[in-house]
Amino acid sequence: MNTHTIRRILFSLVLLLGLPVLAQAQALIAGQDFGKAPNEIVVTFAGEVDRTTVENPANYRVYEAQDPDILLALESVALADDQKTATLTFKEPLNARLSHVVTISRLAEGGEGASFTVMKPYLGYLFSILVGALLINNFVFTKYLGLCVFFGTSKRKDTAKGMGLTFTMVIVVSAIMSWFFYQFILKPYGLNFLQIVVFIGLVSLTVQAVDTVLRKVNPALFNAFGVYLVLVIANCVIIAVPLILADNEYKFWESFMLALGAGGGFLLALYLMSSVRERMELANIPQTFKGVPIAFIVAGQFALAFLGFSGLTLF
Amino acid sequence: MKDILTIIFRLTVACLLAGLVMGTVFIATNKAKKHNIHVNEQKVMLSLLGYSAKNPAPESVAMHEVYRYLVGEGEAMAMGYLLPLRDGSFSFVTIDLAGGFVAQTPVALAAEKAGEPEARTPAIAAALGADKPLRYADQTIVVTDGGKRTAYLLPGKFPGFKTFIGAILALDQNFSILGLEIMEHEEDPGLGAEIVQGYFKNQFKGKPLETVKKLEVVKTPLPEEYLKALEAEKSGLGAEEVASIQKQYQDNDIYALTGATISSRSVTNGVKAMVKKFAYRLAILDRVIAEQHIATPF
Amino acid sequence: MATDKTNLQLVVNGILNENPIFRLVLSMCPAVGISTTVMNGFMLGIAVLFVQVCSSCTIALFKNVIHPRIRIPTYTLTIATWVTVIDMVLAAYLPEAYAKMGIFIKLIVAFAIITMRLEMFASKESVNASFWDGIGMGLGFMFGMMALGFVRELLGMGTLLGYDVLGFKPLLFFVLPLAGFFCVGLMMAFFNYIEIVYKRAKRA
Repeated sequence: MNTHTIRRILFSLVLLLGLPVLAQAQALIAGQDFGKAPNEIVVTFAGEVDRTTVENPANYRVYEAQDPDILLALESVALADDQKTATLTFKEPLNARLSHVVTISRLAEGGEGASFTVMKPYLGYLFSILVGALLINNFVFTKYLGLCVFFGTSKRKDTAKGMGLTFTMVIVVSAIMSWFFYQFILKPYGLNFLQIVVFIGLVSLTVQAVDTVLRKVNPALFNAFGVYLVLVIANCVIIAVPLILADNEYKFWESFMLALGAGGGFLLALYLMSSVRERMELANIPQTFKGVPIAFIVAGQFALAFLGFSGLTLF
Repeated sequence: MKDILTIIFRLTVACLLAGLVMGTVFIATNKAKKHNIHVNEQKVMLSLLGYSAKNPAPESVAMHEVYRYLVGEGEAMAMGYLLPLRDGSFSFVTIDLAGGFVAQTPVALAAEKAGEPEARTPAIAAALGADKPLRYADQTIVVTDGGKRTAYLLPGKFPGFKTFIGAILALDQNFSILGLEIMEHEEDPGLGAEIVQGYFKNQFKGKPLETVKKLEVVKTPLPEEYLKALEAEKSGLGAEEVASIQKQYQDNDIYALTGATISSRSVTNGVKAMVKKFAYRLAILDRVIAEQHIATPF
Repeated sequence: MATDKTNLQLVVNGILNENPIFRLVLSMCPAVGISTTVMNGFMLGIAVLFVQVCSSCTIALFKNVIHPRIRIPTYTLTIATWVTVIDMVLAAYLPEAYAKMGIFIKLIVAFAIITMRLEMFASKESVNASFWDGIGMGLGFMFGMMALGFVRELLGMGTLLGYDVLGFKPLLFFVLPLAGFFCVGLMMAFFNYIEIVYKRAKRA
């Protein structure tokens, strides 16, 4: 038998085995989500359901995924007129941040049961990490990191843009490398005390690599941004991001989102600051405040504005 | 070429030297670091129970650690408890989700190692058989005085206004709250961070189980006399006065912190959930221990 | 080239003329974020002093062996090693201090002040001079942090070193980390003002 035939056989086997499972899952539950009220779960059925069976709370077992032995008290179930959507109302408000497992013993008399998990969409969670690092926990205005470089390169808009973009590039690459190092080398071998050295080493490596690559590939770009590369190392944020993702045990995409948000937030902060500072050059500022002091006060005002994002929760 | 080789050589030597220095310091200090963490935890737990440097715990008081695990997955999931036995050995009791006893397995583990997850979890996995997935859930400390149960200590973590709040809750034998200690949090300083202050934390003291189950947060100012009782060290009130005022407010809801309603609610809901779940689970565990005549020291 | 300053002059230089926070505008992150109380400033100041002195001496000792092309990674490696060492030692022997300083100790690695000082001074001067300069920089940093902490703690919490001085909280705003921006800016302006007055007095 050649490889083509083998592949065909394997494919048909998978289809044969997988189809009933797919069919069953699809035949019973079409969708599930948390309801509008804090104590509701809404489930959409894909096929025929019996009203009395579905509306009987005794047929349901619901628990938070981390506490499978504690069943949540279900008050009532209401099937909508379209015979497809049922709303489960609970006695107490649900903690929508946790994933809940719902098991229905049967959907119709003598029929099959179904079990599914209700949780906030993962993409939403990833996006919330991104927005968190970008706005809510902006590394410059809320976490006060990377300030030395921040004040140094925020005098003009083009330096700000250059620094911001270079920094985002370096931090995304080094964060991903740090994640790999942490997951596959530091953690399994108990070498956590080498965290600081390894992370900053990876950053130096990334900076060196970006420097060499940029020099060869795009000399024009290098002339514009190359000088900022050295400053990236002196940026507190560059080591804060790997430390955070190691501390919180983020997975790969979560780390990526964190790094992207951190870089983006830095770029945003720089851009906002430089726009203001360019205008301040023309303003009438007292002698003692000229230069860095007034920049600090302006930064403080930005930080005050960003404080408004505190506690914001999307998804 | 020679240049690059020199660079690589010198860099490697520098890295090795640095690694050597750090490794040596690590080996020298790691034990002391772990000891410090342990001592700190002990101090917090003893103070929650009412003991301090001036009022040390008597010899008859002992703390027994119970670790809860989730065994298996899907339909076959069960709850497992690592219990210390009177003779110093350990036993792992598996209870199914409906509360029925499944099995009791002896676990080979040294008493000092029980506190370290790297030693404890593999020992349990070895005793159960490698095919069952094992997940650590949480830890409870049962405090006995002369063999009789006097208190329970529950370390726990729940979501706060910002990220998580880590706390240790102390309950007496009837599940009334003895005390609450906030161990870690990332709340705003001056606002949410005030949850560590006496006038918030101590409101939980003395509340019976039935009150805690329905505990809510009210946004009214703290009455003057209650504030004095909650901050007894500052206001200098006598122990009897404090006790009588606390009894008055025992069944009240929690007064929220000014400007930190969400943090106050997070802590209240977190404590509520911890107490409810613990009371439910302990009832099941106690029934199984009694039925199976397991020789626990409590 | 050897510096022509005496050891004492080096130290004073670090505190006044080349104060890392107010003059060199380096290491702003801790100045803004951690200077909420005098105690915080003091403790971080001690940590930075230690790392600065140790790193300066190490680099000054090896300055002839370090290849110029890899000097930045070498500085970073040295600082990272000393930071890790101080982190572990603190966790083992001073747990109360460590509980407060934890994350910030790890960030010392990226403090610009230390790298810059190694580049500008330690790589060119003798071990002895580097030692005293390191002390000066560390003290200057500590002084700056404590000054900021003094203002912020007093106006924000009404306490000093934990002791209730005012009995009430004038402006909670100062305790929020963002007030660090305002405080540093105002302090710098204040220093500038003093310098201008001093120069004017000298000329007159």
